[in-house]
Amino acid sequence: MSLYGISKNGTCTIATLPPVGLLKSLGLREGLQVMIRSKQPMGGPVIVQVGRRCVAIAEDIAKEIHVEEVN
Amino acid sequence: MDCHNQGPEVEVGRDTLKFLLMGNPNVGKSVVFSKLTGVQVLAANYTGTTVGYTKGKVGNFNRDAVLIDVPGTYSLEATSEAEEVAIRFVEEGADAILCVLDATNLERNLNFAFQLKKYDLPMIYILNLIDVAENQGIQIDVEALAEELNAPVIPTVAVRNIGIRDVLQEMKSVEKRDEDREVVPEDTPWDDEEFRWAEIGKIIGKVQKIDDREPSFIEKLGYRTMEPWPGIPIALLILALSLGLVIGGGKAIRGALLLPVLDNFYVPFMTGLVGNYIAEGSTLFNVLVGDYGVLIKAIEWPFFLILPYVSLFYIVLSILEDSGYLPRIGVLLDGILRKIGVQGGSIVPFIMGYGCAIPAILGSKAATTHKERVIISSLVSLAVPCTAQTAAFFVLLGDRSIFLPIALYGISLVAIVIGGMVLNRLIPGKVDPMLLEIPNLLKPDWKTILKKIRIRVKQFMVEAEIPMVFGILFAAIVAETGFIFVITDFLSPLITGWLGLPQEAGLALMLGVVRRELAVLPLIEMDLTTLQVFVGAVVALFYLPCLSVLAILIKEFKLKTGLAIAASTIVAAFLIGGVINQIGTLFNAIF
Repeated sequence: MSLYGISKNGTCTIATLPPVGLLKSLGLREGLQVMIRSKQPMGGPVIVQVGRRCVAIAEDIAKEIHVEEVN
Repeated sequence: MDCHNQGPEVEVGRDTLKFLLMGNPNVGKSVVFSKLTGVQVLAANYTGTTVGYTKGKVGNFNRDAVLIDVPGTYSLEATSEAEEVAIRFVEEGADAILCVLDATNLERNLNFAFQLKKYDLPMIYILNLIDVAENQGIQIDVEALAEELNAPVIPTVAVRNIGIRDVLQEMKSVEKRDEDREVVPEDTPWDDEEFRWAEIGKIIGKVQKIDDREPSFIEKLGYRTMEPWPGIPIALLILALSLGLVIGGGKAIRGALLLPVLDNFYVPFMTGLVGNYIAEGSTLFNVLVGDYGVLIKAIEWPFFLILPYVSLFYIVLSILEDSGYLPRIGVLLDGILRKIGVQGGSIVPFIMGYGCAIPAILGSKAATTHKERVIISSLVSLAVPCTAQTAAFFVLLGDRSIFLPIALYGISLVAIVIGGMVLNRLIPGKVDPMLLEIPNLLKPDWKTILKKIRIRVKQFMVEAEIPMVFGILFAAIVAETGFIFVITDFLSPLITGWLGLPQEAGLALMLGVVRRELAVLPLIEMDLTTLQVFVGAVVALFYLPCLSVLAILIKEFKLKTGLAIAASTIVAAFLIGGVINQIGTLFNAIF
């Protein structure tokens, strides 16, 4: 499942990240649990809460981030 | 004449202590820098405010010491221009690094700090934003952290000067390194990402405690403003409030305070004074106090017409910047912006363009691809009026009908969208997808805001007044001597025929080269129909964005691209202005 597929307020654990260096620098890493704060319409970004920070991730990148949903 | 700040050149002698100020983006490095050096740099609450670097002498120090504000980066892997700059600075060597850590986001900040380990330089850690961290229920054991890091850690609230003296004290105990300045990175276990995060995890477990508390109102607002609902209505409300404050406030200040002073005191006083010595009606009399009288207009235009709006605009912009709200607009607009070749993260330089195009063009350096930089800079140069020109529009158009400025801004927006779509197709390459840290919403610190407004208004006065005086003097002479008709004669088919303006309006076009608002202000003095006023405003909007901007365009993008951008703005100005005139004339003829 991709990060983009998680709905708002959903929580998931990151399984694999695409090779975009900035993702890791922004604090995303495999095994980390994150929460979707909001999703924008018209192909806009998803807002992911990483720790106590929010990161806006474009649709294209979010679709390549594989996650496991946490219930 | 740049509208941006760079610190003064500082010599680094052999005995000078050299400090580097480093850290993640948006952790307050520029604020710490201002406090330690007294050099005023404009800081804001979002990433990438510092795209170049600034050097400053450390004040209140017992010896020569220089501090360099290195652009903030998330890592040291040379994946962007800013990271390359940062690596170059470390490898050139320093006597110590001041590493600023954001107390509300310690984990990720330590990830950066540990990447500096391979350079083996003395470190001083500045744990900034401890007040915000405490409000969020984050407690950090500073002593334990210092022990783990094996270096001094100083808690600070830089905007309020808290802890700055302790930082200075710690810097004084740094010793000059004897060996060669150059630093060679060594391989250490810290290069390995897994190792780094594992160590960080252990340290965080020892030094940080987080109380699970209900998010505060401002935190909740921070989240809600990023959701389409209610984020979009909130954005529209903020836009309406800002415009209302600038337009309504400016008009009120002008009408109630400034115009009475001008009309009842200043103008009669100056006219009387000059009339005592020079015959009324003579050319010299008119050059001094006539229609374009330099003694009247050089005071009236910048101070009585432009300044009230510019000051109010910078008050609004500074509050929006420091609150961290602006990147949220980028989040909401990203879907639309991508269609014009810009991603949401670039909304900030774009909005800066409504202040002045120069910081916008320099700020576009934060864009990750060259293509996106060219698009942002072209669109800002073409269709985004600067604050001084906006003020002139409000006076010229707003005094006739509130719908005229609205229509003008509508045209500007349409031009941005169409221009962006065209450039997105024409320019090869791609625009990177959005990947941006969104800052926490913060209550702006009023002292900092006031200081920022003061810097910007002062800058505006210095930069606007001198060219304005020369421009007006030139206008007065060519208009009063009738020379204007000689100069603009060859342009007359364009000005009177195609644009439907009196030949005198050629003056605005000439002056508009110097400053953007000067393409508008002379029109106020002419007896024009509403259609003529609107056509004149449209031409001024798209027209060449002042000489300083042209210089920056050429400097940043080479001569060819710079001139191409400038030339296309002039063509667009005459084309769109003329079309509006032709349609308007036809419309008038029919009805």
